[in-house]
Amino acid sequence: MEKQLKVGEGFKIIGFVLIAFGLFTVLTGLLTGDHVRTWANLLLNNYYFMSVTIGATFWLAMQAITQSGWSAAYVRIPQAMSNYLIVSFILWAFMFFGIHDLYHWTHHDAVMHDPILLHKEPYLNVPFFTIRYVLFFALWIFLTQRIKKLSLEEDKIGGLTNFNKIEFTSKVYIFVLAITFSLFSIDWLMSLDPHWYSTIYAVKKFVMAFYHGTVMITAIAIILYKLGYLPALTKTHMGDFARYIFALSIIWGYIWLSQYILIWYANIPEETVYYVPRILKEYKNYFYLELIVNWAFPFLFLMWNRVAKNAWALLFVAVVLMAGQWIELYMSIMPDTADTHNITYIEVGTFLGYFALFAMVVTWSLARIPLVAKNHPYLIESLEHH
Amino acid sequence: MDNTNIIGVYEDEDVLLKAIDQLQENDIKILDVYSPIPIHGVFEKLKLTTRLPYATFIYGAIGAISVFAFLYWTSVVSYPLKFGGKPLNTLSFIIIMFVLTIFVGTLFTFLTYFIREKMYPGKKVTMPVPRTTNDQFAILIEMGQAMSAAEIKKVNDLLKKTGAVEIKESE
Repeated sequence: MEKQLKVGEGFKIIGFVLIAFGLFTVLTGLLTGDHVRTWANLLLNNYYFMSVTIGATFWLAMQAITQSGWSAAYVRIPQAMSNYLIVSFILWAFMFFGIHDLYHWTHHDAVMHDPILLHKEPYLNVPFFTIRYVLFFALWIFLTQRIKKLSLEEDKIGGLTNFNKIEFTSKVYIFVLAITFSLFSIDWLMSLDPHWYSTIYAVKKFVMAFYHGTVMITAIAIILYKLGYLPALTKTHMGDFARYIFALSIIWGYIWLSQYILIWYANIPEETVYYVPRILKEYKNYFYLELIVNWAFPFLFLMWNRVAKNAWALLFVAVVLMAGQWIELYMSIMPDTADTHNITYIEVGTFLGYFALFAMVVTWSLARIPLVAKNHPYLIESLEHH
Repeated sequence: MDNTNIIGVYEDEDVLLKAIDQLQENDIKILDVYSPIPIHGVFEKLKLTTRLPYATFIYGAIGAISVFAFLYWTSVVSYPLKFGGKPLNTLSFIIIMFVLTIFVGTLFTFLTYFIREKMYPGKKVTMPVPRTTNDQFAILIEMGQAMSAAEIKKVNDLLKKTGAVEIKESE
């Protein structure tokens, strides 16, 4: 239980090779003239891993405010993931070199001749956009690091003081996330098509973050268990993780339908314009794939208890669902930007680079903290969970 | 005195689970456990299984199919009225199907449960320990005719040792 995570040399080498490969693809993409597409891919992967981290830390906050017992042995996983937000903050900064390629509303001349964009100009302008980005990340990093610090301090001093402080910080964090993450999704994804809007867009992105953040925590917990680090992970924990994912997949499907069916039913041209390229043109396959992978697929695996409590099956589900999130973001970003519907080396390389970076940041952080919060008041309940 | 049971009353969930372990180690067969909340550990320890979820699944599937069939029949076959330029076999079926699948699934699961447990409205409550609906847990051990006085004493001692706050006999 007190085992410390050791990062092997092989893992580091593979990680650096993949990061180098990702960097190489990005540079190739930028130099060979495919810059819109490269920036779109960078946006996709930046958003992907940022939202996974936000979702995981939201999961952590949820466990704290509900005083959940079963998950007490796994709080260190999202806490370690929260370090990625700092890396993500730096990576997003580079996006500002590409905003003219991605965002129509950043072109001053275009805005001046467009009444809709002129109307949105007080919100959608580059200085305020930058301020929001800095402010949101500062809040997220401050609050998640504070939760982590309090939890690590709890290991030393014990007692209930830090537990209560974590609960309070989590409440603040959830409140802050509700506003900031919604606006962040609107800023960076919805404003790709500044003429179109959907009031449920931010909700869908929030559910996606929560859904796939939980998937990522599950995957990391199972991998650690298979490597022998979390021996306390039993079938009942896996069953609970599976139930969490299954419930979130249904919520995801519900929000997906809520957005789609209203636009479909009202049939107003300025709203349907969003779905026209997505469902009628080349993106048709991805459109159905998104729904099948994220909503229908979990039914096959997570409904039957015997499969849902199997570590390998659950890991397989997690991997497929991670691909599902990629497809969803691909569908959100690509039709409005690069408008290419082929997946080539740019997509694969960028994703692998980011994935390796994320994995290395998380393992680096996990290796520096005890894997189990030993003075968590609910730890025994979690270990003897039935 | 044929169907008398020995009842051990507990006040804590974890004490109860440990008591079940100890009783089973001593080869005492537990007839039933009463609890105000579902405890997963009890299901595992007593090896209780249920086929109710499968029944729910079947009801839900039947519900979904029959609701779809009804909607299809009314708005496509029997009375094909186009409105709003929407196709006859439309996406808006989904909401009604979703809601009615849940409804049919739950309702018939309830009915199945009531029939299997021989429950009906107005049935007289047979509860050995009334506080098991509030804050107590109870273990029932069948005494029957075969149990000798020594065995009864052994069971009583074990119940006391494992932390039962009250031990009684009842039908």
